Parts: sequence; structure tokens; C-alpha cells
Amino acid sequence: MSLAEIKNLSVKMGIQEILHGVSLDVPKGSIVAVLGANGVGKTTLMRAISGVYRVTSGEILIEGQPITNMASHKIVERGVCQAPEGRQIFSNMSVRENLVLGGGSHGLAELDKVLALFPLLKERMGQGAGSLSGGEQQMLCIARALMAKPKLLLLDEPSLGLAPKLVALIFQLVARIREEGVSILIVEQNARAALKVADHAHVIDDGRIVLSGPSAELQTDPRIVEAYLGGHVA
Amino acid sequence: MIDPYYLQQLVIGLSLGMTYALMAIGFTLIFGVLNVVNFAHGEVYTIGAFASLVLITAVAPPFVAVVVFALAIGALAGFSLERIAFKPFRRFTDEASLKSRAMREATLLSSLAVSIIAREAIELLFGSQQQAVPFEYLINQPIHLGPVIIVTGDLIIFGISALMLIGLQFLLTRTHVGLSIRAVSNNPLGARYVGINVDRTIIMTFVIGGMMGAAAGILVGLYYGVIFPAMGFIPGVKAFVAMVMGGLSSIPGAVICAIILGLSESVAVTFISSGWADMVAYGFLIVTLIFFPQGLFGARRERV
Repeated sequence: MSLAEIKNLSVKMGIQEILHGVSLDVPKGSIVAVLGANGVGKTTLMRAISGVYRVTSGEILIEGQPITNMASHKIVERGVCQAPEGRQIFSNMSVRENLVLGGGSHGLAELDKVLALFPLLKERMGQGAGSLSGGEQQMLCIARALMAKPKLLLLDEPSLGLAPKLVALIFQLVARIREEGVSILIVEQNARAALKVADHAHVIDDGRIVLSGPSAELQTDPRIVEAYLGGHVA
Repeated sequence: MIDPYYLQQLVIGLSLGMTYALMAIGFTLIFGVLNVVNFAHGEVYTIGAFASLVLITAVAPPFVAVVVFALAIGALAGFSLERIAFKPFRRFTDEASLKSRAMREATLLSSLAVSIIAREAIELLFGSQQQAVPFEYLINQPIHLGPVIIVTGDLIIFGISALMLIGLQFLLTRTHVGLSIRAVSNNPLGARYVGINVDRTIIMTFVIGGMMGAAAGILVGLYYGVIFPAMGFIPGVKAFVAMVMGGLSSIPGAVICAIILGLSESVAVTFISSGWADMVAYGFLIVTLIFFPQGLFGARRERV
């Protein structure tokens, strides 16, 4: 059964249409990856789902209920939380305050569970979020989104700007978060890492989905290997 | 041995500074969440004083009730102000519009318009002259502290302002509303991702700012016994100066600068003449703008 269904989604910014009828499904308990180069509409898709951008046409359903063009805070209430591009943490506030805000009406109910995933943050609770390293900030960003007990976690470029070691760690965490029962939609430029962890993947180009399939298949698809994994199929 | 007269002046300066601080907090909070200057803030002060005066003349309630009433009126004024002058210019909530200068300048003018309309309306209703404040409500009974003589108003203003500052600190660090206000100030986009109701948070900011401004209005009105339609202008300017000196979005900075401003004015009155009091504020503003363009307490503001 699908947790999230995106049907024929179009988004216009001003007069320019960025997404032209994107459709995809996130089955319950799965990790779905959206791959693509810079500027093809990946972040636009994520922002539209979270209600930050207006949807021009199409529908977004969570457990069959439409959330299209609802206010962002209502979408979070429906169990859709995002760790956005650029992290967007509250740099002038403490790590704890960031997590409290992430929890919203749940408060700190999820704190123990989240800190079990991110033990590093435990030692940083009283520290200003702006003083964290890039990797720690990314963890805080994901942890903050998990505090609201999401059904669907949206991850927008979680590996951006991180050292390879940290990228591996982040993707390990992504796999563990799924084991906790959270479905995940992840947008990535790092196709190799994303395909390893995802069940299903879609490739976006110029605002359209140009290729879809199970990750295992895409990993060996010559078009993917050449365009996104930087290699040739022997 | 210090002349008790100087100590008295310092006490007066301190209570004056506290009322500037209450006003400056409203400016600072609103500037924090919306990045705009609310030009109608001085009118909230006037409305607080006038509404309370109406209550006093109508039912002669106890003093505490007057203050509570002023707070309620301030909350209502802040709420209405936001709906009338600010909300209509916030139709677009994407990043580009939030940062656009046109949006900011539009609310700058709309708040100025509301300010003029409110002041003129009060003048039409009550006349431009000073209102008679019933004698028994004036807070100027002398208190002798050894050789120093202060008045009840100094204590009341100091006490109420201090309570409100402590309350604000509690609100901003311990409650969800307060954390949301700080979150929206810090990162409006991030606030939307964590599910903060940004619109409601902005309203709450105006409500809190309005409460503090209206309380300052009635306290000063009863302290000097002077309530008139244009009374909000000068304190508004002083609070604005305190906000700029404090670094625009720093609340502790604004409070400290407001108190410095109050104390310096009172020192200027003591040693030069009362006509120089306002010059002190403008002098501080110019010095701050030239030598400390970030404000005395302004951390470099982060813009992602």
C-alpha cells in the first residue's frame, strides 16, 4: 500500500513551469530515491510536498488523504517532515531548542529514540546549533525532523557538502530510520550512495521523471551508470 | 558624599529607561520576525494610555485592574495592527517575497498610515489638549529613602517593567510560543519545515509587543499625569534609537541601551538643562550609526 502518492504534479514559479507532471509513489516502509543533476526540479518537488511552494496542478496524497497546497504546519501535522536542503536549522538557538521545536505538539516525547540514533547530539544539547560542524548540523536537521514522529521523512540532499566518511554514516542512519518504520523519500545528487540504500528510484531531468525502477536494476542500467555513476558498463 | 539630588535623578532615569525598554522590545521582536520597522508602535503606547484613562474615568477601578486592562488593550491593538497593516502584504510566503524590499517598504508605509489615522482619530475623539488625569490615580506620592526622595511611580514602573522583562525572558526560552518567535526570527523558512504556524507566531509577536507598549503608555501617563494624542511619538523615537543601538534584533541589547538612554537623559537634564534630553537620544543614534553600524550588541546577523 502506498503511504504517499504524488500524481501528475506541476509547479510554476512565476511564469516558468519547473515541474511538469511528476508522479511517484512511496510504498509504506520503503525508501524511494529521486536522482538528478542540479537544477532539474528535485528541491522544488520536495518544497511542494512540504507546502513551501504552491502546486499548480496535480495531487499529493498521504494515506489516501490530499495534502496538496495545505499550510506547511498542517502538512507536518499529517506526518510529513522534511530535513530540507541547506539544513535550515535555527543557528542562534541551542541544539535542545531546535529539537523541541522539531517536536512541535509532541514536545520531547521522541527525544530518547532520536538521541539513540544520533548519540553525538546528546553531548551537544546545550550548545548553540550554529557552532556545530557541518556533519553535526546535518544530523541535527534530520533529528529535528524525526522529533515530530513522521510517517514520511523527506530528505533533501543529506550528503551535500559532507566528507565521504560522513556521507556513509548518514546513509547508514537513513537505513536505520526506515527500520523504525518511517518511510523515506530522498533526493540526492550522490546517486551511488542513494541507490545502495533505496528500494526504488526515479531519475528527474528538466522537471520530468525520465526513468524509474527498482534500485537494483537502475544500478546496472547503462544510462544511469554513464550519466550519474561516472562509469561504463563493461 | 553624593548629593541626594543626583541619586534621585538616577532613579528617575532608570524608571524612564525601563519604559523605553518596554517599547523597544516591541520594536525588536517585530523587527526580528518580519524584518520591518513598525511605525505604529508609538500609537499602541498612546492607545494604552487613552483606553485606560477612559476606564479610570468611567468606573474608577483599582490600580492593578488599570494595568491589566492596558495589557488587554495593548494585545488587542497589536493584533489589529498586524491584521490591518501587515497581513495584507504577506500574501506571498515564498523565500523571495519574504526577503523582498518592496514588501518591507510597503508595510513601513502601511504602518505609518495606521499610525497617522490612529493619532488623528484619538484627536477627533478627545481633542488635542492634555487630558485631565484623576488625581488619586497619579503615581507620584513621595517616598523618603533616607535623604533621597523618590515617588511611588519610580517603584511601580521599575517593578512592573522588571516583572514584564522576566516574564518575556521566560516566554522566549521556556514556552512553545516564545521558541516559535525566536525560530521565525532566526530562520523563517526553517520554521515552516518544523511545522510552526508562522502566521500565528507573527500575530503573537504583535500581541506581546502591543502589551508591553500599552503598559508603558499608561504607566508613563500616570507618572507624569500627561496624556495627549501625540504622546507616543517621542517615546517611539527613543525606543527606536534603543533598538538600533542594541543591534536591531537583540533583546538584551535593546533593553540595556534603553536603560542607558534613560539614565543619560536624566543626567543631561541634571547637568545641562531639560531641553537637552532629546538631543542625547539623537546624539546616541548618530554616534551608533557612524561608529557601530552593527549596533553595540548586534551579532552579525546570519542570512542563508
